[in-house]
Amino acid sequence: MHIPDGFISPQTYLPLYAVAGVAWVYGARSLRRQLDADALPTLAVMTALSFVLMMLALPLPGGATAHAAGIGLLAVSFGGWMGFMAISLVLMMQALLFGVGGVTALPINALALGLIGSFAAAGCWRLLRRYNESVALFLAGWFSIVLPAILIALVLGIQPNIAHDANGAPLFFPFDLSITLPAVVLPHLLVGVAEGVLTVLGYRYFTRLRAKLAR
Amino acid sequence: MNLDRAYLGFYLGAVFAATLIHDPVWLACGLGLALLASGRKAMGILRQALFAVLTFNLLISLSYILMAWLQDVSPWVTLIRLNLRVLLITCLTFLFIARVNLFRALDFSPGLTFVLGLAYSQALTFRRAQDDFRLALASRSLKPPRLIDRYRASAAAAAWFIEKALHAATQSSQALRSRGFFND
Repeated sequence: MHIPDGFISPQTYLPLYAVAGVAWVYGARSLRRQLDADALPTLAVMTALSFVLMMLALPLPGGATAHAAGIGLLAVSFGGWMGFMAISLVLMMQALLFGVGGVTALPINALALGLIGSFAAAGCWRLLRRYNESVALFLAGWFSIVLPAILIALVLGIQPNIAHDANGAPLFFPFDLSITLPAVVLPHLLVGVAEGVLTVLGYRYFTRLRAKLAR
Repeated sequence: MNLDRAYLGFYLGAVFAATLIHDPVWLACGLGLALLASGRKAMGILRQALFAVLTFNLLISLSYILMAWLQDVSPWVTLIRLNLRVLLITCLTFLFIARVNLFRALDFSPGLTFVLGLAYSQALTFRRAQDDFRLALASRSLKPPRLIDRYRASAAAAAWFIEKALHAATQSSQALRSRGFFND
């Protein structure tokens, strides 16, 4: 889902870098407090896990595939900040080591997928798990994809309004909200279902494994 | 300042500049300069960049041509500008990846270098394993696998990665503790 380089105006990515920078500093401090000496290796390995989950193709009927992100699974298993930092590191790795995504899109992608996605999932899980664990997990996964998709559609859709030439021609992403919202959000309502299922099954497996490791 | 960090600064500056320039001629000059700086790797970098942006940019460009035709406006300047900018930034990124050691560039923060190094090495291991899983499914299927088989394969792979990640995190943490990493 994440945005590639070159489609976002500096009027958008510079302020968002400032916001993301504050969140990264706060997230790093928060993780250090939460997890103590295990923070660094856990963060590194969860980053790698998230990286590979993004590569896993979830088959859809008709031969198409969707890619999960593992945001919901990370957030409900390790909390919002771990999810945010791991997703941010994945995006940084993809941008600077694999040439996917990009540095101008990094703050938007990190804030949408990492911050909004992780905290939506963690919040959903915390709020709903007392009623029904499976529903809470499914919705955590679903929201962790759908809310970032809405934010990304909004950021893309405002580009023609905030960056255009004297004739009104767009300088960056050329489509407005009337196109980006349905084009980005509607497919992700379905991808969110796959992410929800991954979160339910992944979390159950994860909890069993953790209990086995603790014995 | 080490050379890699200087290159990182230069790369970020060049990407920023590419988003400030809107004249297609200057963007084309920038692309030419980036390819000139790539030296013998220029064609490889251009091919890699074209391959990386092709699907997304083709989709955007064709959709924009359709929209412009419906609105009776000329799409060409916008499309040339957009595609040149994306290609320029992608070429700069691949040139950066080819020339710069990111870990040395980020060594001002030992924590970040450590996390990135460990995550990168794990990601490479996981990526190789993911390729193996994909090839294993293909080699064991005489006919294209059914949807249920693909679900099972994806679920098995995800379970393997989760288990491996948990073990790797515990192992790394124990290895670091035993070597006194956190006591320094």
